[in-house]
Amino acid sequence: MEIYNPNPTVYKSTRPTVRYPKESSLWLVDDLDDRQDKDEDEVEEIDQDEIFDLIRSITDPEHKHMTLEDLMVVTAPQIHISPAKNVVDIEFTPTVPHCGMSTLIGLSIRVRLLRSLPQRFKVDIRVKPGSHQSEHAINKQLNDKERVAAALENPALLTAVEDCLVSADHRD
Amino acid sequence: MMDIDVPGHIEKVAELEGHDDRAWCVAWNPTKPVLASCSADKTVRLYHFSKTDADTENPSVTFVHNTTISTGHTKTVRSIAWAPSGTTFATGSFDSNIGIWEQESSDEDDEMHGEGVKTGEWECMSLLEGHETECKCVAYSTSGTLLASCSRDKTVWVWEVHPDADFECMGVMMEHSQDVKCVAWHPTEEILASASYDDTIKLYIDDPSEDWFCFTTLTGHTSTVWSLAFSPNGRYLASSSDDCTIRIWERIEQHKWECVKVIEGQHERSIYSLSWGVGKRRGDDGKGEFGGWLASTGGDGKINIYEIYEPPSSSDPKGREPPTHTLIATLPSAHGVHDINHVSWCPRQGYEDLFATAGDDGIVRVWRINLNGQ
Repeated sequence: MEIYNPNPTVYKSTRPTVRYPKESSLWLVDDLDDRQDKDEDEVEEIDQDEIFDLIRSITDPEHKHMTLEDLMVVTAPQIHISPAKNVVDIEFTPTVPHCGMSTLIGLSIRVRLLRSLPQRFKVDIRVKPGSHQSEHAINKQLNDKERVAAALENPALLTAVEDCLVSADHRD
Repeated sequence: MMDIDVPGHIEKVAELEGHDDRAWCVAWNPTKPVLASCSADKTVRLYHFSKTDADTENPSVTFVHNTTISTGHTKTVRSIAWAPSGTTFATGSFDSNIGIWEQESSDEDDEMHGEGVKTGEWECMSLLEGHETECKCVAYSTSGTLLASCSRDKTVWVWEVHPDADFECMGVMMEHSQDVKCVAWHPTEEILASASYDDTIKLYIDDPSEDWFCFTTLTGHTSTVWSLAFSPNGRYLASSSDDCTIRIWERIEQHKWECVKVIEGQHERSIYSLSWGVGKRRGDDGKGEFGGWLASTGGDGKINIYEIYEPPSSSDPKGREPPTHTLIATLPSAHGVHDINHVSWCPRQGYEDLFATAGDDGIVRVWRINLNGQ
C-alpha cells in the first residue's frame, strides 16, 4: 500500500475527554433505553463537543494505532451545528494535501454519525479549505448520498470503514 | 410552521409501508391501476388502487398491497420503470444489472374483465448485463421500443426491445466525464436526455446511418444534476440539481435547447427528483397556454408543486417570453425528517392530481393536490 504520510505530526490531546452523564448522551445505540424514558416531544440539544466525542476515536486508516483526534484530523471547533435546520457541518483536515485516504476518513465519519446521531440531522462533511489537492472531488463524493449508499454495499470498502470504526465504538 | 400563501395544499391519500430500507423510486403502471416501488432492501412492491365512492363528488382512492417481489438483485434496486404496455417493468440495480420483469399468466386471469389486474407471479425474463458499476436509472421510450440505462461507469446505453424479452444494445454513449444519474425520454420523439455528476445534461438522437450520438450538452448547473423531466408537450426539459436550483430548457430549434428559466430559493438541499404532469387547469385567467404541474422534492424533505404556463406560441421564438411558474402547493417534512428520493405524477386519466413519493424512511406516500374550493 502506498504510504501518503509516513511521519505524521502527532498531537497530544490536551483537552480532557468530556464525559457526559448517561442521560444526555443519548446518541449512542446502548442508550436506547434512556431515550425511551424521555418525553417524546422533547428535542435534545446537541453541541459540537458531543459530536466531536463521537468521531474523535475513529482510527486513522493509514496510521492504525492513532485516532483522528491524535492527528488533529478532526477537532471540536471544526464542527458546526445549525439547530434550527438540524444540519451538522463537519470539517476535517487531512494530514497531507495528497492524502489518498481522505475519502475513507470522510466516509468513516459519515457512517459513524449515520449510526449514532438522531435521524433528524443532515450531515455535511468537507475537508478544510486548502488542505487537499482534490478538495472539490472529495467534498462532492462525501456528500453524494447515492455514492455513499453504493460504497456501503461494497464489501471491501465497508470492511475498511468498519476497521476504522472499531475504536470509535469502544471509546474509553 | 410559517404559512405560505399558496392556492392549494397537498393532502395525503395513502401511506404505504413495508420496505425494510430506503425507498428510492416509484413507478405508476401506465395501463393498469398499479403502483410499484423499489428499495435498498432489494425488493419491488406492487400496490393496486381503486376509487371508492366513485359516484360521489370527492371519491377517495384506496391502495392495497398486492405483492412483494424479491428481485434477486444482490444490491440496492435503485430504479424501476414500466414499459408503456404496462405488462413489463425494468429494474436498475447497484449490482450493475438490469432486470426485465413480466407476469406469468394464471387461470384466474381468464375470469377478470376490463381493467382487471392479473394474478400470476412476476418473473425475471431477462437480465441485461453490460454496465460495469451501479446502474442508476432505467427508462422506456414512449413507443416502448427502446430502453435506456445509465451508470456510475459514465455510460448511457440504448437497448432495443425485441419480442420475448430479448434486448439488443443499439449504442453505448461515453460522453459524460462522471456518473450518470438519470435518463429521460422525450414524450413524442426519440430524443434521450441524461444528467450527470459532471454537472451537465446531454441530449442524444439516433443517426439512421450511424449510431446514437450526443447532439448537445447543456451546461449551467453548478453541481450534480440529479433529475430530468420533459414537459408533457415536449417543448421544455426541466432539470434539478445539488445546486438547489431547477432549470427549464426550451427547444428553440430542432436540435437546439436553451436555458430559459432558473427556479431558485425553493429548496435548501439537493433536489433529487422532478416530475412534470399534465395537471388540471384552474380556470382561464389569460396566463397563456397551460403547461401542466411540475413537482420537485429532495434532501430537504419538502415537496413543491409549480403550475406552469407557456407564453403564446404565435410569437417569434427568439423574442418569446419564458414560461411562467407559480408555486401552487408546498409541503415541508413530507416524510418527517427524512430525505425524499423520488416524486412521480400518476399518468392515468382521472388521477391527474395524484402523485407518489419515496423516502429514506422506506415509506411510499401517495398525495393529492387539493385546490382551495374543491
